[in-house]
Amino acid sequence: MEQYVTESDVRRIAEYARIGLTEEEVASMTVDLNSVIETLKPITEYNLEGVEPTFHPIGSLSNVMREDVEGESFTQEEALANAPAAQDGCFLIPSILGEGGDK
Amino acid sequence: MGNFAMMDVASIQAGLRAKEFTAREVAEDALARVAVADAQVHAFLETCPDLAFAAADRVDAAIAAGDLAKAGTLAGIPVAFKDNMNLVGTHTTCASHMLENYVSPYTATCVKRIIDQGGIPLGKLNMDEFAFGSSTENSAFGRTCNPWDLGRVPGGSSGGSAAAVAAGMCTMTLGSDTGGSIRQPGSFCGVVAVKPTYGVVSRYGVVAFGSSLDQVGPFTRNVRDAALSLNALAGRDVLDCTSQDVTTDFTAALDQDVKGMRIGVVREFMDAAGLTSEVKAKIQEALDKLEEAGAELVEVALPNVHAAISAYYVIAPCEAFSNLARFDSVRYGFCDEGHHDLGGQYEASRSGGFGVEARRRIMLGSYLLSSGVYTKYYYPAQQVRTLITQDYQKAFEQVDCIIAPAAPNVAFKFGEISDPATMYLSDMYTISINIAGNGGMSMPIGLGADSGMPVGAQIITPAFKDENMIRAAAALERIYGTAPIAPAFAEGGAC
Repeated sequence: MEQYVTESDVRRIAEYARIGLTEEEVASMTVDLNSVIETLKPITEYNLEGVEPTFHPIGSLSNVMREDVEGESFTQEEALANAPAAQDGCFLIPSILGEGGDK
Repeated sequence: MGNFAMMDVASIQAGLRAKEFTAREVAEDALARVAVADAQVHAFLETCPDLAFAAADRVDAAIAAGDLAKAGTLAGIPVAFKDNMNLVGTHTTCASHMLENYVSPYTATCVKRIIDQGGIPLGKLNMDEFAFGSSTENSAFGRTCNPWDLGRVPGGSSGGSAAAVAAGMCTMTLGSDTGGSIRQPGSFCGVVAVKPTYGVVSRYGVVAFGSSLDQVGPFTRNVRDAALSLNALAGRDVLDCTSQDVTTDFTAALDQDVKGMRIGVVREFMDAAGLTSEVKAKIQEALDKLEEAGAELVEVALPNVHAAISAYYVIAPCEAFSNLARFDSVRYGFCDEGHHDLGGQYEASRSGGFGVEARRRIMLGSYLLSSGVYTKYYYPAQQVRTLITQDYQKAFEQVDCIIAPAAPNVAFKFGEISDPATMYLSDMYTISINIAGNGGMSMPIGLGADSGMPVGAQIITPAFKDENMIRAAAALERIYGTAPIAPAFAEGGAC
């Protein structure tokens, strides 16, 4: 079978997708992805010259607007109810500036 | 116990109208039934007695006021919902650790429409994690068993929705279908299972998987109940801009004779490698019987349909990758705490919250959308989609519907298929319909000769001609009867 992605590709893809993988998981993910990508081969072998793409089944769909009217929405409490961490009515994340933040 | 969840809509409503029992009794009985039967099946992830009793009391109040009809077309019917549908106050987990503790602050439009029509919500149903799978083995909270044979899968991803109806725990359930996730479990569990045309039912409040493919639909044990459910579900919702203004009365097609109906037969489907002989024999038998009943069989060609699986496994993971980016461990969902940097929290939370298949699809989508790769797969996949859509449009110039297998095989045994690429083939007959956006349903047509397991005929219709599938399904129901409850779970059965 053709090798479409290497372990180093998988590490790069994982970083972009924000998925942490152990070295063991990188190895098995590489095998799995290559096996699935192999099944996608027909897509690359079609003569599709002049064929327009269809990105959406309702082709005629254009911007759908609603009336700009006031409606009900969540209270701050409801919006924060599922947050893993909240403080002073805001979502709480680790510090991103200064000491201890991302470099 | 009245075993009300084993009854259909008409029988329950007749009993309510005649005051033989109350909606409260239906709710109590159905929840007791779930407690017993679900110990074997594990279709439910959660029950919601408070919501069930509140809904039942509203129905009983309408009856006391002398008007059952006011309580809605589904008044007093025990229903349940796939766990990717929000119902305020319940957990909506998508069968994932990512959403294990998530409590819905609002209700999905499809769920609301069923409850507004008087449906009694019993709870939330198991599925493959985030709907990624074809067997419900990928649930983070344990697999669901097929009520026809507890050693086999119920299909997936809406396995809980199909199994709950097949085991007589609900009269009606809702599932979602991105590549076959309603029709394939419907076939495996021997129940009526409808994926309407894309745009018929609002997806607002349903956790998104593949936004250009996802559609919501019902599971029932007879065609009339499916039509009633579609009547309740269909139509424009301002909260989902893809939902269309559909006002069809789907029950009107129930009594239309199949005589003169042009039914398409697709050689590419009937001769496909991988189609088991027992399924092929049943589909051929159903076609012959429909012809005897007066339908006209017409051979039609779908020359590009074989590319649908590869197009799907490009488009669906790309859309899933995009949709699942929202799980950021900040606003809701699993958070791996104690990190001092946001990037570390993202990575640890997403790898800790998502299961193996979800991670695989996210990774695949991420790869396919990366620069250089996009033009090789994603763009051509959308061009292939055009060809498949045109194939169906041409075929539907000659026929009113197409009949094909819903799945190449009957329900397989647990663990029988472990390779993801082989598992993906189990949706070979359903995927092209999502790609083109047409309607499709699985209609039970008896048991396979080798396995004794249910077989479903898939009825495929032109876009927004979903009434055609009701007409053909009603004809099949007149031949094969309504969907039976799995024998072990039927009245007098072991479970």
